[in-house]
Order: sequence, then structure tokens, then C-alpha cells
Amino acid sequence: MAVIFNDTRMRDRTQLVFSLGIFALVALLPAIVRNEYWQGVLIVSMYFAMLAAAWNLLAGYTGQFSLAPAAFGMIGAYVTGLLSYHFNAPPLVGIPAAVVVAAAIGFGLGRIVLRLRGPYLALTTLSFAEICRLVISNSIEVTRGDLGLNVPGIFDHRLTWYYVMLGVLVVIQLGLYFLLRAPAGLYLRAIRDDEIAATSRGVKIVLWKTNAFTLSAAISGLAGALYGHFAQFVSPELGLLSQTGIIVSMVVIGGLGTLPGPIGGAFLVYVASEFLRDFGGYQLIVFALLVIIFGRFFREGLWGFFRRAIERTGRRPAPAPSAAE
Amino acid sequence: MACLSIDSVTKFFGGLKALDDVTFSVNEGELVGLIGPNGSGKTTLLNILSGYLSADSGDVVLDGRPITGLRPEALARLGVLRMFQLTRVFPRMSVLDNLLVTGSALGLPEAEADGRARELIEDLTLTRMMHLDAGQLSGGQRKLLEFGSCFMVPPRIALLDEPFAAVHPTMKEIMAGVIRRRHAAGQTFLLVSHDMPVIVELCPRTVCMNAGAVIADEKTRAVLTDPVVIEAYLGEAAA
Amino acid sequence: MLLIDLTVNGLIIGLFYALMAIGLSLIFGILRIVNFAHGEFYMIGAYAYTLIALFFGISPWLTLPCAFIAGMALGWATERLLMRPLYSGYASWGVMKDEYAVIITFALSLLLINLVDKVIGPNGYRGPSLVATARVEIGPFMASGHRLMAAGIALLVLIAVGLFVRYSYWGRQIQAVAQNRLGASLAGIDTAKASSIVFALSGGLAALAGALLSPIINATPDVGAFPAVKSYVIVVLGGMGSIPGAAVASLILGVLESFGAVYISYGYRDTFGLVILILVLLFRPHGLFGERSREV
Repeated sequence: MAVIFNDTRMRDRTQLVFSLGIFALVALLPAIVRNEYWQGVLIVSMYFAMLAAAWNLLAGYTGQFSLAPAAFGMIGAYVTGLLSYHFNAPPLVGIPAAVVVAAAIGFGLGRIVLRLRGPYLALTTLSFAEICRLVISNSIEVTRGDLGLNVPGIFDHRLTWYYVMLGVLVVIQLGLYFLLRAPAGLYLRAIRDDEIAATSRGVKIVLWKTNAFTLSAAISGLAGALYGHFAQFVSPELGLLSQTGIIVSMVVIGGLGTLPGPIGGAFLVYVASEFLRDFGGYQLIVFALLVIIFGRFFREGLWGFFRRAIERTGRRPAPAPSAAE
Repeated sequence: MACLSIDSVTKFFGGLKALDDVTFSVNEGELVGLIGPNGSGKTTLLNILSGYLSADSGDVVLDGRPITGLRPEALARLGVLRMFQLTRVFPRMSVLDNLLVTGSALGLPEAEADGRARELIEDLTLTRMMHLDAGQLSGGQRKLLEFGSCFMVPPRIALLDEPFAAVHPTMKEIMAGVIRRRHAAGQTFLLVSHDMPVIVELCPRTVCMNAGAVIADEKTRAVLTDPVVIEAYLGEAAA
Repeated sequence: MLLIDLTVNGLIIGLFYALMAIGLSLIFGILRIVNFAHGEFYMIGAYAYTLIALFFGISPWLTLPCAFIAGMALGWATERLLMRPLYSGYASWGVMKDEYAVIITFALSLLLINLVDKVIGPNGYRGPSLVATARVEIGPFMASGHRLMAAGIALLVLIAVGLFVRYSYWGRQIQAVAQNRLGASLAGIDTAKASSIVFALSGGLAALAGALLSPIINATPDVGAFPAVKSYVIVVLGGMGSIPGAAVASLILGVLESFGAVYISYGYRDTFGLVILILVLLFRPHGLFGERSREV
């Protein structure tokens, strides 16, 4: 007779279980999806899922709507790319370096935008992202500019990549779950809900905002570095604003501020975009439209539909619907 | 023994003198009322005491330690907890989580914070709503929640900014009850309110401000019959 | 006389920037949001002007107002369909209305860019010049006839907008709403209508800028990106919500870029604005003329 979703522990646990369900599904897919191309599509979805999860941590849980997620993916990709291109560094050096550099830059950005909110924050992070992309694009002697860099691969078999990326994604998701259940999760949400109230209750907002930026950047950097070695190529296009648009779409459609939202959203949006590619490249139009519709009418995204469905099957009707989460 | 000392605090907003050489103390275990007509600077003073504004001159000392210039989070951890005039809670977090945030932020281990939070929720008669998002509560219930947040960890001094404004009498009684009990146990309060009956009932001593300056600081009964105070509220003729 | 040339050219560019930025400033003044689809109003204007003239063989002087109207229509539609949740007490986004605006307008921007890319095609279209004269010499400095004419039109329109906002009936309503939305509605002002008008005006002005510049900068689906970024820089530099601030900042940016492109670096000329933006947001967030607001 439990009221299913009004205990936050239960809600978070249910969301985690849902995420793990999605992962299990994805893990089993290669049994049906034998085509290497489509396995590749799923692998790229995992790259986006990591970026989406990272952005969701920053925006959905901490309330910092940065427009720079793609830029950090690009930074991670270029760190490992440049290290291998100029110094022949192996991926075992390149990937951790990417995480560290991205985290450091994320930390810096976080400190810079501490006092900014809403549109000011969006504008600053957007400028930052564009500057990063322009710098990489223009530093032709170092980065070969728009020509991009070739990056060595790691695994011979696509399926190995498949499960390695999935494994990393699972670890990230579990990490986020435990972070959000810990007091840290309370602090981040408090910052999102009301910074002033948070400070009055003793929450160290400077510390936690910065942590959110750093962690989000680190995850994005890792995703970018892994993607770089998978695609064996990096270019400034990774940091285009439209890429950020895709990431935001994935999270909003899946469910902003939820655990399974960015994951489900990423797979759905990217796989669907590949299908739609065959129908003439309408994918961005469709996703932009979906973001507008979801933003306007279904704030909780697809997760909201699942949540309501689950609550309806519970034996007691849930009291007034929760706003989000 | 002085818990909180306010010494010659002055604050300007552009050309407006919001606080004019404000000086008074709140002693350990005292329940001091702070009254004054609208615009007299009470909230500005509270904002300075809790770190949201900085004084242009003067000092604020807590337990002998100057606290001017400290950030709100640091002050909260030193035990200066407050309520806001316009209630602030975390609307997308549950009532329980709202309290747990304070508990953890102020250093309570998780299990202890959980126990205390549930107790407080009982005292505040919010048990039925424990798992609801704070955003779903009524205005009065939110005030109760914000009020409760001040007591997860017993504060050195609780700064209550108009806790009874626009609140149902039952809830007023709940808060007054908590204040009475905790005061009896030695809790220090600075209570800003326009609700004179409650001030008279709860506060042995009251400070009155007008136009940024302290115009009276004495036993509550004396303050209410002080001609200067009456003039501030009602104008010269009434005095 | 390179200096005069650069300065005058900078001022001319500044006028066009001002046309773009004023609308954004108005929107911020009234709704406290940044419209991330602003660049796409510019783009629609460029396309409307260019394609109508091209396909219907009409004189560009007639298609110019068409572009303005197209922008106005788009702006009005955007406000009516998407912006209501910002102020109609819509509970779902609650305190996160800034974030709602960011997401929705960002998505709108993507939608419009890709819609045009699909429906019309990725190729650029060059807009028709307003006047046939290719080169005009005024004393020591030289410019194309169209550029001068366009600058003149921009100046006239800016003055008209300034007068409108200052003295007209709706202009004053808008000022009232910008200062105090709740108070204005209590005084009987139709705040929703004021918002619609502001969005429409903003769209129209941006579209006009797009049209006027299309002979110089071809109309392509993503042509709106760079003027949008300039507008953000200007609105922040001038102070969000301050129209004179936006006007002054536009001219400053125009001149700065003009000199910067020649004396510092041509490749990075677009980064000046971005760096200025970040610096202003960090050190003087209320810009040159904006107002500080009290938080607690």
C-alpha cells in the first residue's frame, strides 16, 4: 500500500533501477543488432549519454544552465588527441590527462561564473564555449584547425568498445546516484532551488557550485577523450553550439533533473536521429520541436510519463503530483 | 553576558541612511523583540547581522568575536540562523530534505540529522507532509518549515523576521510554543514582529527602531508606552 | 585618412548593431530574459527581403517593409505561443523561469535554423542593393551606396523607435511594465499585450537589420549567429534593459571591432566581443548604464 513516489529515497532508487534497466537493455542489444554501423550508433549514443548526464548534474540538479557542455567534450577529445599527435602519448596517459585538464578548466569556469545566474550565466558559458572552439579552430599550427586530428584507436573489436563505454557509463551513473543520495546531493539541489536560502542554512555554495562544474567538466572530458579514440578523429565541430543543443534536447526530452532522463533521452534522440537521417535529415528540426513542446508542456520529459504511469498502478493514488523529480 | 553586540552600525543605500548608529546587545538566553514602523531598518539590520549586507561602519560581535564581513554560510555555521521576511524554502525538495540540508550543512551526522528532523516535523505538526515537496505546502506551512530549519542545530541566536506575518493563528501558536519552550531552555532570540500582543507575551525586553535609529531599548511594557515610540508609529498628535 | 575611414565605418556598423540590439534590450527590460533565437529573426528578415525581391521581381524598397513585417509576425508568434509560462503563474517551471526561457529560445533557434536549411536550402542568397550606386565618396572616406543608404534608414528607424518608446501611448505602457510588472497590471495595463508588442518590435527590428545587411552578408541559415552574439555583448555592455545604453554600446563595439580587425587580428575579430562580454559580466554586470538590483 506504499505511496510510491513521495519518499525521496524511494524515488531516487526507482530512478536508478530504471537507469540500470536501460543499461541492461542496451547490454543485450548486440544479440539482435549485429550490424557494426548500428553498434557504432549506439556507442556514440553512449558518448552523448555521458555528456547529457554531466550537463544534467550541473543544470538539472544544481540549477546552473551552462551552454558549454559540448565544449568540454571537445576539450577532452583534444587533450588526448594533441598528446598523441605531438608526443605520441598512449591513451592510458591521454585519457586521464583529458579528465584532469577538463576538470581544471571546469573548475576555472565555475569560479568565474559564481555570481552569475540565468541568462547571464548562459551568455558567459556560451561565450566561453565559442572562444574555446575558435581558439582550437584558429591555432592551426598546433591543432591543424578545422582539418582535425587523427587519433589512435584502442580496441580492435567494436564490441569491446561497446561494453567498455557502457561500463564507464554505468560507473558514472552509479557515481552520480551515490553523490545525489549523499549530503552533497542535498546541497546541490538546495543551490538549485534557492541560493540565498541555502546560504542562510549554512550550505557552502561556493564550494558546491564549483564542485558541480568541476565534476561535470571531468565527466564530459572523459566522454570526449573516449569518443576521440573510438572515432579516431577529433575536430572543432565537437564543440559547436548545435552539439550543445543536441545535448540539451536529450536531457529535456528525457527528463531534466532525473537520473534516467539524460540516459534514456540520449539513446532515444541519437538513435532516432540516425533513423531520421535516412528520411532526409529532419532530425534537428524534430528534436528542437520536441524540446519546445516538452519544455512548454511536459516539464518532466519522458520520465514524467513513466512516473505517472507507475503511480497510477500503485494501490493508493499518489497525492498531488510532485513538481519534477 | 552579551551574546550579540551591535555597535554603532551605520548603513547607506546611496543617499539614504538606512541604519543610523545602531547600538544594542542581546544577552545570552534573552528573547528580545525588535519593533518599528515599516522602513525603519529592521530587515536591513537583520541582513547585516546574517551576512547578506555589509555595514558601512560599526561592528557586530558574536560571543566576543567580530563577525562583520563574514559570509552568510559562515555565520550560519557559527550559529546565527535566520528567517526571511518573504519565506524561503526549497520548493522542489521534500519537507524532510529541507531540514536535512540544514542539519548536514551544520555538521550533524546523517542518522542524527534524520532523527532530529523527524522530531521537529512532529513538533511543527507537519508529519503528514513530511515527504511532500515544500513547494506544495501552503504559505503558513512553509513559514513553519522555515522556522523549523532554524532549530535543527540549536543556534547561538535565532533571528526571526516577522514569523507571524499572515499566518493562521494555530500555526502562530505552534511557533510561539516552540519559542517559549526553547527560550525557557536558554535559547537566545531576536524577534522582529508587528504583532504586538505576541511581543508583549513573549519578549521581556524590546528594542524599537525608527528611520534607521534605535529610539527605545527597555522593558517591553515601558517601550509600548514610551511617547517616542508612539510618535514613531502614530505621529506627533497621538503622542 | 585610415583613422577617419575606420571610425566612420565602425559607426556605420554600430548603427546596424544597434538595430539588432535595441530589440533584445527591450525584451530584457520587460521580461528579464535573453532571447536566444534573436539571431534567427535577423535571418528571417534577410531571407524575406532577398527571396521576395528575387522571386517576385519587386523593388527592394517594397520588400524591405515586408521583411520588417515578417520579423514582427515571428516575434509576436513567439511571444504568444512560448512566452506565456514566464508570467502567467504556470507552476511547472516555477522559480526556474530564466532557465525555461534559455531552453525554449535556444531550441527555437535550432528549429528555425534547421527549418530554413531544409526548406530553403543551405545555399546563401545575396540581397539586392537599395541603390545602384556602387561607390560614394564623401570627403576623405568611401563607402558603397547601399551601405550609406542602409545606415541612413537604420538611423531613422532607431530615432523613430526611441520616440515611440519615450512618448507614444504603448511606449509608455512598455516603460511601465519594464519598471514594475505587477504594478503596471494593477494600474490596468495589459501586460501580456505589452510583451507581445515588445517581442514583435524586437523581431521586426532584427529582421530589418538582416534585410539591410543582406547585400553585404549573404543570407544563409546560420547567418544569425554572429549578429546575435554581437547583440548579447551590446546588451550586456550597455546594461540590460537600457536603450540608450544599448545604443552607445553598439557604436562602441562597432568602432572597436573596426580598429581591432585592422590593428590586432582579423581572424580573432569575433572574439573581441566575446571577451568583452565575459569581462563585463564579471566585473560590471549591470553594464555601463544598467541598474543594480537588490537581492535580499
